[in-house]
Amino acid sequence: MSPVGRAEGMARLRRVIARIEAESGPASERVVRRLPLVHAFDSALGGGLADDALHEIAPAKPQDGAAAMGFALALAAGFLNRRPASALFIGEGFAAEEWGALYGPGLVAHGLSLSRLVFVRAPDAALAFWAIEEALKCGAPAVVVGEIWSLKGYSLAASRRLLLAARKGKVPALLILASAYGQAERLSSAAETRFEIAAAPSARIPAAAGFDIPGPFACGARLIKSRLARAGPFVDADSPSKDGRSSKRPTDSPSEDGRPSGRPAVCDQRSRLQTHDVDRVIRLQWRSQDMTFKDMTFRDIGVDDQAISLPLAAASGDRSRAAARPRR
Amino acid sequence: MNIGLSLPDARARFPALVVAEAEPLEEAQLLTRLCDWCSRYTPLAALDGRDGLMLDISGVAHLFESEAALIEDCRARLASQGITVFIGAAGNPRAASALARFSQVKTAPEPLSDKVFVKLFHDLPLAALGLDEKTVADMARAGLRRIGDIALRPRSPITARFGFAPMARLDALKGLERSSIAPRFRPPDFCAERRFASPIQTVEAIEFQLRKLADNLVVLLERQAKGARRLELSLYRVDGEVRRIRIGASRPLNEARAIVRLIAGRLASPHEDAIDAGYGVDLMRLACLVAEPLAPSEAELERAHEAERALALAELLDCLSARLGARAVTRRELIDAHLPEQAEAAPSAMLGRARLRGEEPDKVVEAAPARPLRLFARPEPIEALAEVPDGPPLRFRWRRILHDVTAIEGPERIAAPWWRHADMPTRDYFRAEDSEGRRFWLYREGLWGRETMRPKWFVHGLFG
Repeated sequence: MSPVGRAEGMARLRRVIARIEAESGPASERVVRRLPLVHAFDSALGGGLADDALHEIAPAKPQDGAAAMGFALALAAGFLNRRPASALFIGEGFAAEEWGALYGPGLVAHGLSLSRLVFVRAPDAALAFWAIEEALKCGAPAVVVGEIWSLKGYSLAASRRLLLAARKGKVPALLILASAYGQAERLSSAAETRFEIAAAPSARIPAAAGFDIPGPFACGARLIKSRLARAGPFVDADSPSKDGRSSKRPTDSPSEDGRPSGRPAVCDQRSRLQTHDVDRVIRLQWRSQDMTFKDMTFRDIGVDDQAISLPLAAASGDRSRAAARPRR
Repeated sequence: MNIGLSLPDARARFPALVVAEAEPLEEAQLLTRLCDWCSRYTPLAALDGRDGLMLDISGVAHLFESEAALIEDCRARLASQGITVFIGAAGNPRAASALARFSQVKTAPEPLSDKVFVKLFHDLPLAALGLDEKTVADMARAGLRRIGDIALRPRSPITARFGFAPMARLDALKGLERSSIAPRFRPPDFCAERRFASPIQTVEAIEFQLRKLADNLVVLLERQAKGARRLELSLYRVDGEVRRIRIGASRPLNEARAIVRLIAGRLASPHEDAIDAGYGVDLMRLACLVAEPLAPSEAELERAHEAERALALAELLDCLSARLGARAVTRRELIDAHLPEQAEAAPSAMLGRARLRGEEPDKVVEAAPARPLRLFARPEPIEALAEVPDGPPLRFRWRRILHDVTAIEGPERIAAPWWRHADMPTRDYFRAEDSEGRRFWLYREGLWGRETMRPKWFVHGLFG
């Protein structure tokens, strides 16, 4: 079919859809495709990160900015993997000066394809928000990653604008609030989710002599906000018993290393969305080869942690979670 | 002298006769090769017995101006290859075969009137009907030798005595019965060809012509909303060889560029069937052997959708560039340089787009040394403590915070190109992880003992 014929075909289909919508009202149901992360988050996210919403990422401490960016880039790689389109990185110039500019060879090693990335440097936060909004509205990118330093202009209204733009263009927005360390729980915005990211020791590779070799990207992630989940003590969706032992089951069995196996991508029953423990830190490892996160929360990672055996961690309930959280 | 004459008789008639052993296999091969060569005239070329070729030239002759010109062209080209041919042309295969083999007059007019038929065919021997030898001998014994002998007699006695074949063949000769030929190759659904007055020899010229052929073929395919699944490029060489390149596609192709890319890959490959243009190629034909309708599948629509989005992206980049400045909207390209700060370029997205389109995705080399996500434009000096002056750091202070190294990889030694920066010290890079899991890219500037006695330490980048 010629390009002209194809365009005509598209136009015809659009007219048909417009006619159907005129008769029966517009499609009110929001159809969302979700990017699954790891099991521990997906249940609270309703299957994964929505591809038409605003997701905020904040570092836990001032020096965790690189970890937050690593997490955002990993999510961006996941979104890029799903659609043959480009990704836009829109950063406030000051962030790049403070923490270094994104570095091409490192991005490639992280699993991103440089030919599909566009980098935009905005002189201030206001222009960065404008650029992000424009990018979301046009619907062309597979994902837009924003990095904002100055939070003065970031209000409920500003975030609402971004959310609506994401809804309109059906493009996921990942917003890194680079200076929001320590405030992640106090911020109020229209974002659908908010993560707090802390640096975490990687899965090290033992060396013959001296220190171990650092492993691939890893971070500790807390899901502070999810519009779909109710905050509260963590109970696992698959085994809603009050027994503390069962809540540990899904993550420490080796068959479920972070993949949402056998569950629908979209959680259909609202009731299944269980309450979610905002204090729970999930340790994630990014595998750029197969574009997945691996949940390392209850795994032995470093030499130091080998003393904690899994049955003990599983039996001691809430206290084990506190132990698994990185020292902060 | 005729076929069937015994060797002694022939020698008696022509004492200077040159004798060669019959080699049926090679003769058959030559005939097959000739048949392939003849497909330059028509796609419907078939073998006719052991000593003939049958070409269906209906609708083809006008390309050579006339039937006579086509025959002359064929005769001349084959003569230049050292092959003498007898060519007959008529409205049906049987008549053409009879004229070529047995008649002095080689062309029959079309349509054929009874009077002309009598004049042309009645004097030909019965063997011209293509009957087997036994039937011909039987009929000769009954006094039937020429076609006219059976054409003027009632049909039933002859059919009763010699079977259906003679009369059926006679009908075929008159064109009363449809007769078909079995071409060696299925005629292609779509094909485009180019002839060259002077033969082309270089691969570049062949590729250039291939592009034009592909354009023409795609136009034909588009008219019927079809795409090619199997394609064949035939190169007719001046010396009579025909080279064919066949390719298949996993989806119906209707883009000239894709077709050219697939075939050109084969043209260039040092494969055994690679193109050897020899004395030159005087005819190229690109045929679509199997075409499939281009259904506007879901994937097609998705692609169309993505094309629209690509357009929207271009508009977005223009809009952002206009407001923020072209230097603020960039892409990244890898550059093969050792110094980390020179290993990437950031061309403007508007300049880079044309070059980047259609490029292969970056390959991640498994063994490539790790590189940080963020790189400082100016490496930041740190105070580092190492066990030995040329060893890895144990702890370091950066931005007033002390970091204890708990895992480290290195050194990766990177020296500046000496022909450009003669006095730039060598760097030893380390990937260090501190006790809280932050990963840094540190380097020590200057080789201890050789370049400096007090190496300086820097943090150059941050890993995620």
